[in-house]
Amino acid sequence: MNLGGLGRPSIALALVFASIALLLAVLGAIKKRSSIAESGRRALTMSAVFVAIATISLLTAFFSHDFSLAYVANYSSRSLAGPYMFTALWGGMEGSLLFWTLLLTVFSAIAISRARRWAHPDLSAWTIAVLAGISVFFLVLLNAPADPFTRLASVPLDGRGLNPLLQSPGMLVHPPLLYTGFVGFSVPFAFAMGALLSRRTDSTWFTFTRRWTLFAWSALSIGIVLGGAWAYTELGWGGYWAWDPVENASFMPWLTATAYLHSVVIQEKRRMFKVWNLTLILLTYVLAVFGTFLTRSGLLSSIHTFTEGPIGKWFLPFLALMLIGGLAIIISRLDSLRSHNRLDSLLSRESAFLINNVLFVAAAFAVLWGTLYPIVAEVTTGVRLLVGPPFFDRVFIPLGLALVGLAGLGPLISWRRMQPHAFAKSLRGPLITGAVAIAASLIVGIRSPGVLVAIALCAFTASAVISEFARGSRVHRSRDGLGLLAALGRTLTRNRRRYGGYVVHLGIVLIVIGFIGAAFKTERHAEVAPGGALRIAGYELMYEKLDRDATPEKRIFGATFAVQRDGERIGTLYPQRNFHTAQKQWQSEVAIRSTPIEDLYVVITAFDPDGSASVRAFVNPLTWWIWVGAGVMASGMIFIMAGAAPAPVPADVRRRVREVAVATR
Amino acid sequence: MKFLILGATALALVLLPATAFAAAEDQANDLSNEIMSPFCPGVTLHECPSPEAIALRNEIVDWFSQGKTRAEIMSRLEDEYGPQILAAPPAEGAGLGAWLLPAAALVAGIALSVFLLRRWTRAAASDDVEDVLAPAERRRVDSELAALRGPR
Repeated sequence: MNLGGLGRPSIALALVFASIALLLAVLGAIKKRSSIAESGRRALTMSAVFVAIATISLLTAFFSHDFSLAYVANYSSRSLAGPYMFTALWGGMEGSLLFWTLLLTVFSAIAISRARRWAHPDLSAWTIAVLAGISVFFLVLLNAPADPFTRLASVPLDGRGLNPLLQSPGMLVHPPLLYTGFVGFSVPFAFAMGALLSRRTDSTWFTFTRRWTLFAWSALSIGIVLGGAWAYTELGWGGYWAWDPVENASFMPWLTATAYLHSVVIQEKRRMFKVWNLTLILLTYVLAVFGTFLTRSGLLSSIHTFTEGPIGKWFLPFLALMLIGGLAIIISRLDSLRSHNRLDSLLSRESAFLINNVLFVAAAFAVLWGTLYPIVAEVTTGVRLLVGPPFFDRVFIPLGLALVGLAGLGPLISWRRMQPHAFAKSLRGPLITGAVAIAASLIVGIRSPGVLVAIALCAFTASAVISEFARGSRVHRSRDGLGLLAALGRTLTRNRRRYGGYVVHLGIVLIVIGFIGAAFKTERHAEVAPGGALRIAGYELMYEKLDRDATPEKRIFGATFAVQRDGERIGTLYPQRNFHTAQKQWQSEVAIRSTPIEDLYVVITAFDPDGSASVRAFVNPLTWWIWVGAGVMASGMIFIMAGAAPAPVPADVRRRVREVAVATR
Repeated sequence: MKFLILGATALALVLLPATAFAAAEDQANDLSNEIMSPFCPGVTLHECPSPEAIALRNEIVDWFSQGKTRAEIMSRLEDEYGPQILAAPPAEGAGLGAWLLPAAALVAGIALSVFLLRRWTRAAASDDVEDVLAPAERRRVDSELAALRGPR
């Protein structure tokens, strides 16, 4: 069934309803009439329904090969496998904007519907207005410069097909997760702005949006790791992160959001950092949209420019409005945001959190600065420069390592005040572990100071975090007489956010261990004839044979390599180099033998007519731990989110409490 | 014994070109991470999958095995392709700002936070809420709390 015809009227109606929502919400907020704002909320929900219809209609057009739609003709073909029709939805600019808008309107509808129970009507009204305003912007794009339902004058028999790089299982999940992350930050952003606009800057906005923030942050984190996994298995250069401008664009909001997740704890516990938290959530949202702008504008050359389009110029005014408008509102409300900043001691958890924030924001700034520097340098000095991976490695790695160490140090320091001797005592175990790790590394022959520091910090932090689990369980064992596992379980579930957070920290340590492995990678490149071999880091890759095959989509050239070690066959690898007929494009398919110790990674960069292969082989130690660490991180995040939602006091209860307070005064 | 030394020398001579080549390849791989590919936009030579990039990487391996130094190869590449080939901007001239500003931002951030932390600590100390405990009692409470927390 092809519903492609419904698409255009649906996005037009979605824009109409979002505009109505914006008008009604602003009117309701100004007139302080919650019934008007409630109509605005319903209008925004209707807008979400129409965006959903538009998305479904585009998907049905893909599945029924309706090549009269330019978007379908440009990003799919008759031979494209079913699941990749979804990838095609976000494979191009118009479709990815439609998908973005779908997430935005649906998240908005859910968030404001759930907020009705507890939020003050003024806060709700302004929040609806902000979310509706953002939705209007994206819907204007979809109705004018980025219309996914443009029809072609003459209908082609077949489409151009999807970029082979995107035809990978990773591309089914990586973009939706990144978008969920980016768009998810709209909710805390809108509530923060709503709180400022309605002068309801008490803690309700961030108590309610805490889980949204965590949800968006988790999706972004996993999305970023999956992007790395996709690059690793598809791009064929043996690495997973290249500090490409678009990778950076996803990493910057992650850094500021991570800072926010930590600093919001200070606001909860100590009522401090109010202005700072608002600024962080504003920066996070602006950076998330900035990422989309970078991808779509073609301002910087990037591997991701397959979705480049003419809408970059629309984003600049929008970004400027968000940033300048947001800052202006924060400044105009400074009076009501004044916190009673008090700190009992320099040696306290609060200080550790503040340093954490400085490091995260400095890292985000360094990444932003490096990403934009080519433009800055060209405009100011006229010199064309490039800023690539070595710059980011040198600037970011020290900050990243300091943060790893802080992840271990933080939990050891108590809130408010810690006596130096108690601190020294709690440091002892982790410090000894770090020293043992350095000694062991020296014994196995590691000499690079940077690597030694990284290993020591990982050991330190892992030890500190594990000792926190042990300490918590010990209390439950002695007090409640529980067994080891039961005590650990109770420790975890009694304070999900804290211990779930520690699980996330452990995941980060594992990921960093995987990064450390990159310091020991080996790479070999050789022309190998069938029957020949390539030697790399103790492995022998025997090129046994070349198989040719064809599918409607591609001509397949598959090599078989026997993997030998010490003369013994330990496995077989099947790298391919395929010719995609629709795109007339060669594409290498990597073969990887992955173990916890090291990955053997083989990619064929060319075949000669006589069957000889140009082979690039890598041995990447410890890479496996990156994906395991990401799994541990994800389990920590799910564990936190699975807990009971923090219950903000409902608006009517608060009103009654106030009434009682007034009556008894 | 002589036979052993002879054998070892012969083996070393046989393996030398192979190990020298491997060393050259490691150096070339390292270097190809430090330069941008002139053939693909926005990626280092190491990442670039194009045939020209593979040819240039092989050429760099050859240069290293001919005994050229890293600096010589870098300046040769810079002469040929211009300063845009450097993947990290030089810490001088137009490239200096790239390095200076993040460092300055970090120093400023740390300085500001140290300033704020000290201010907030002083503010807490001068608050009119007095410590209800005498110093000796405070020490005792602290030590008993520490004992309750148990050995770490």
